[in-house]
Amino acid sequence: MSQFARALAIGRKDVESYYAKPPLITWALLFPAVLMLAIYVKDPDEYLAVAPGIIAMTLLFGCTSMAAIVVTFEKRSGTLRRLLLTPVTPGTIILGKAGSAAAYGLSTSLLLTLGLGLVLGMPLANPPAFAVGLLLGAAAFSLLGVLASVLVREVFEAMTLMNFFRFPTLFLSGVFMPLDAFPSWLMPLAMLSPLTYAVELLRLGVSGSCYFTSPWVPALALLAYILGGWWLAISAFRRRAGQ
Amino acid sequence: MPPESTVPAVAVAGLHKSYGAVPALQGVSFTVPRGGVFAYLGPNGAGKTTTINVLCGLLRPDSGRVAVCGLEVSREPVKVKARIGVVPDESNLYPELSCRRNLDYLGELYGLPRRVRRARGAELLELFALADRAEKPFRALSRGLKRRLVLAAALVHSPEVLFLDEPTIGLDVPSARALRQLIRRINREGTTVFLTTHNLAEAEDLADRVCILIQGRVVEVGAPMEIRSRVDRGTYLKLGLSGEVTARELLSSCPAVKQAQRQNGFWRLEVEALHEALAQALAFAQARQLLVNEVGVERPTLEEAFLAILQKDQSAEVSPR
Repeated sequence: MSQFARALAIGRKDVESYYAKPPLITWALLFPAVLMLAIYVKDPDEYLAVAPGIIAMTLLFGCTSMAAIVVTFEKRSGTLRRLLLTPVTPGTIILGKAGSAAAYGLSTSLLLTLGLGLVLGMPLANPPAFAVGLLLGAAAFSLLGVLASVLVREVFEAMTLMNFFRFPTLFLSGVFMPLDAFPSWLMPLAMLSPLTYAVELLRLGVSGSCYFTSPWVPALALLAYILGGWWLAISAFRRRAGQ
Repeated sequence: MPPESTVPAVAVAGLHKSYGAVPALQGVSFTVPRGGVFAYLGPNGAGKTTTINVLCGLLRPDSGRVAVCGLEVSREPVKVKARIGVVPDESNLYPELSCRRNLDYLGELYGLPRRVRRARGAELLELFALADRAEKPFRALSRGLKRRLVLAAALVHSPEVLFLDEPTIGLDVPSARALRQLIRRINREGTTVFLTTHNLAEAEDLADRVCILIQGRVVEVGAPMEIRSRVDRGTYLKLGLSGEVTARELLSSCPAVKQAQRQNGFWRLEVEALHEALAQALAFAQARQLLVNEVGVERPTLEEAFLAILQKDQSAEVSPR
């Protein structure tokens, strides 16, 4: 059996243990759905400008909610040691953990997209761009979540670290306000945020246009985050696993 | 390349490992032959868990060679892990998963096809008397049953070498006994067992080879009987006779007896050569037409030998060199 098949086994087990729980699913879906509904009720013409950002936010929270604590949690409970005693490589463990987080984030954001399409009639002008935005965003966010989990020792530290990243990111990434309207001094920070690129790819998917002149720019930026997140997560994991 | 059966289960040579400036292992060397039970003993902080972590590929040594089943652990950790099973000192299976699912998941990670791992899981649940609790979550099991499932989980892929770190710690007497019986059975079926324990009676009961580690150094390796015989304490013969005799009579008739003491209605004889002393004592009883109603031999236990070695090591350390 290949290491990839083992990563799938780890991912399936994590979905079963952590993600397929009613409280997590309802929270991940209800919060963005209610937010979207509030924006729609306030101004039905404007909801399309915000919808890609809310979908990207759902993806970010879905991919990082458990990923950010799962390794720390398993380290505390001793089950990470059990995993390390099996014939799996650090890359397999990271892939399994990030894969389950990405699957959960994709499921919740796809369900929200489906709901927005069915209830509010949200269009998809460029479905491939939308799909690429979701897939690359899910990979980048889940790896960042796993990286946070690997870097810290305690579950609460992982939550704190992730919240310091997630909430400012919502403000900086064009979720509620288009990048065109950003003051120039804020733009460098916006360009540092991976969420910015996911939001713009989803915006391209929904409305057919985005801030960037070419879809390759956000796609390659997300790819760079994926590669960087993968490398950092594996390096940190190798260093921390023996402690 | 030597045939598989002649390659030792574990071979450690010149193993060094430090945590910062604190040395944990200082040139540890030993070999574990295939098919036996090897007990790795030492006081707290001696370096037992560090050794196990290095052997299982969880920790990189500073220097030295470590091979398990003929494979270098630092070069091929994944291959080594596929051939070993480990029972850590903590019961660390997935609390939310059922007994069956825990075994199935671990079988998946060891690369067993679905049909094989289902059959193996059922077989292990049956063997460890957990079949009626197969669907219960791990967290709902008692401590003894948890230890049993952890042992079963370490066997899911039929490992060649089984590492047991304090397997019976915290168990009540019947559970510990049941677990020891299972360990014996696993060993009889061909699995080499590497055991660390603080329970010296358990080590004596199970092991055919013992290694004593003190402050990161191996101080004794050998069969339990060899180690016991290296301790300076004498061998005692316990003798019950149907009539009264004096110590002087015993000592004069039995030259192999060094000392004779009356204890709780029996004679406790310190002997030099056991067989000779026993023959002389029986001849003495026959000559006086006395019945022998109790005969026993008291040798130093592994625990006494261990304590003597520990004391010797400590006194060597405090005495000026």
